[in-house]
Amino acid sequence: MTESKTLTGSSLLFEVLQEHGVQHVFGYPGGAIMPIYDALYDSDVKHFLCRHEQGAAFSAVGYARAAGTVGVCFATSGPGATNLITGLADALADSIPVVAITGQVPTAAMGSDAFQEIDIFGLSLACTKHSFQVTDINELEKVLHQAFEIALEGRHGPVLVDIPKDIQLAAVTQRLDKLSHLKNKVKLPLADISKALDLLTHAKQPILYVGGGVGMANAVEEVRDFAEKTGMPSVSTLKGLGAINPDNENYLGMLGMHGTKTANIAVQQCDLLVVVGARFDDRVTGKLDEFAPNAKVIHFDIDTAEINKRRAVDAAILGDLKGNLPLLTTDLKISDWQQKLQQMSTDFAWRYDHPGENIFAPAVLKTVSDLMPSNTCITTDVGQHQMWAAQHMSFDDPSNFLTSGGMGTMGFGLPAAIGAQISRPHDTVIAVSGDGSIMMNVQELATIKRYQIPVKVVLIDNAKLGMVRQWQDLFFDGRLSETDLSDNPDFVMLATAFEIKAKLITKKSEVDAAVKEMLDHDGPYLLQVKIDSAENVWPLVPPNTANDKMMEGV
Amino acid sequence: MNAITLNKYQLIIMADDKQVVLERILQVTRYRGFLINGMNAEVNTGNNIATITMTVSSERPISLLVDQINKLIDIKGVEVDNSSATNQQHSA
Repeated sequence: MTESKTLTGSSLLFEVLQEHGVQHVFGYPGGAIMPIYDALYDSDVKHFLCRHEQGAAFSAVGYARAAGTVGVCFATSGPGATNLITGLADALADSIPVVAITGQVPTAAMGSDAFQEIDIFGLSLACTKHSFQVTDINELEKVLHQAFEIALEGRHGPVLVDIPKDIQLAAVTQRLDKLSHLKNKVKLPLADISKALDLLTHAKQPILYVGGGVGMANAVEEVRDFAEKTGMPSVSTLKGLGAINPDNENYLGMLGMHGTKTANIAVQQCDLLVVVGARFDDRVTGKLDEFAPNAKVIHFDIDTAEINKRRAVDAAILGDLKGNLPLLTTDLKISDWQQKLQQMSTDFAWRYDHPGENIFAPAVLKTVSDLMPSNTCITTDVGQHQMWAAQHMSFDDPSNFLTSGGMGTMGFGLPAAIGAQISRPHDTVIAVSGDGSIMMNVQELATIKRYQIPVKVVLIDNAKLGMVRQWQDLFFDGRLSETDLSDNPDFVMLATAFEIKAKLITKKSEVDAAVKEMLDHDGPYLLQVKIDSAENVWPLVPPNTANDKMMEGV
Repeated sequence: MNAITLNKYQLIIMADDKQVVLERILQVTRYRGFLINGMNAEVNTGNNIATITMTVSSERPISLLVDQINKLIDIKGVEVDNSSATNQQHSA
């Protein structure tokens, strides 16, 4: 330890943030975090005032995902801290590196049911990768460094640091000499490389199953190279979209509940699944016992706990995907399999020749996808529009498609787009939302207004909670319970109230011009797209059903 | 009623003596579908290492729990004492 100038805990926080390259944070002030906001006043870190702590957490998630870095958010004690929880849970489910700083009542008041006191440390256990509560000023610097290291080490995740007000105000007289805080816990078993190579060379119908771990491992190039050199047909999870070049002739699209018919049939028929950064999520597998029933499995992952968690594997290759996957690259003799699946992709290609004048949501999203500039970042909320975006838009990198995969959190899209746009000011950012989802964090339109953030919003409006309505129609005898949103506000007027340019379209003939107008507009823009409320997302694998028994319409 | 076979295991967990490490272990154990039948925790004040001995039961394989506890930041290691593994049947 060396002597240094006297700092407070709050000013030390900003020094550490800057040591970790943090330029932007998202937050909302309050009583127990006032010393930190006072120190912010003198800091070079740029703070974005969100209008709800959940918005701040999702903006931090969007920032992290779009830029491949750590997102940071602040909240005060009590309700401020609890409002972060959904965002942290979302970050945990999708393995996103976020550091959340919460103010806490002074240590002397802790445990006394003080005003705005909640045990956020206890509440954080189930929704963070790790958490700290700092009760000794001499621990603060080390803890803050550890928070960043843990967020990024191995499988990424959110870390919460709870700092009581007296610790924020306490004098720091000593700084750490050298940063070496985290023990190296990574003790991975030897990889089954030779076994995997043997499985691969004997496979006649292999499939590459690509998940969100690819983007987080910064291994997009390696996975694309592997797919190209082996010629292996590939499928993607929701969170893996963008990892495989969508123009690869052997890429079959998304698998799972709303996956393509070809992807699901191919997986069901394959004799080998090469799984990269994916976890056999229930939305992917359908009925687990009948998922890829004839396949051997090679599983690449950074997280030991994902191996054999839901599906027994034949070869496990743990650790850095970027270094490990090239070890398996080999020439495969699978031309019959490739041709069969290419033909199937042609036979089962999406169709956009929807009858009538009503706007067909898949077609409008394809139009946006076709017209948007390269490297556009798309965020979504959750529901039908999310699945249509996944099915009908093309992404050239996983960091260009930000969607709440594991948690499925409505309200994600708008604040995540704000975070993405802050991290990538020169790229177009479009939030694809629904009329149900956008109301979950609609207050963030005020954040867009305040900072003139040029986010575009494509609002797919069916005046319903569409996905729930679809399930009620299909699986609950059409008993529509609390899914009608026909009393929505006037979204154009609402956006206009936040000085955001907005337009409503209701007919197919209006789509092209409206999308172009939105994309050409320099500032924020909301395009409300009115669609038929009876439209469903197809195909659909019903619950507890094998993926090749999908419904394609009713 | 279906008979469910619960396998009983004894875990020996070594952990840094950090805040809420015990709560973290308990939370993970419950969430991952294991019943806690008994536990004992002691701290070596010389090296600040806690040794937690825990008996758990579940129909799920113990490796699922071991891997999840091992992921906790403050955990140094988890061992399964196979000598104490037993089966018991419950009606559900």
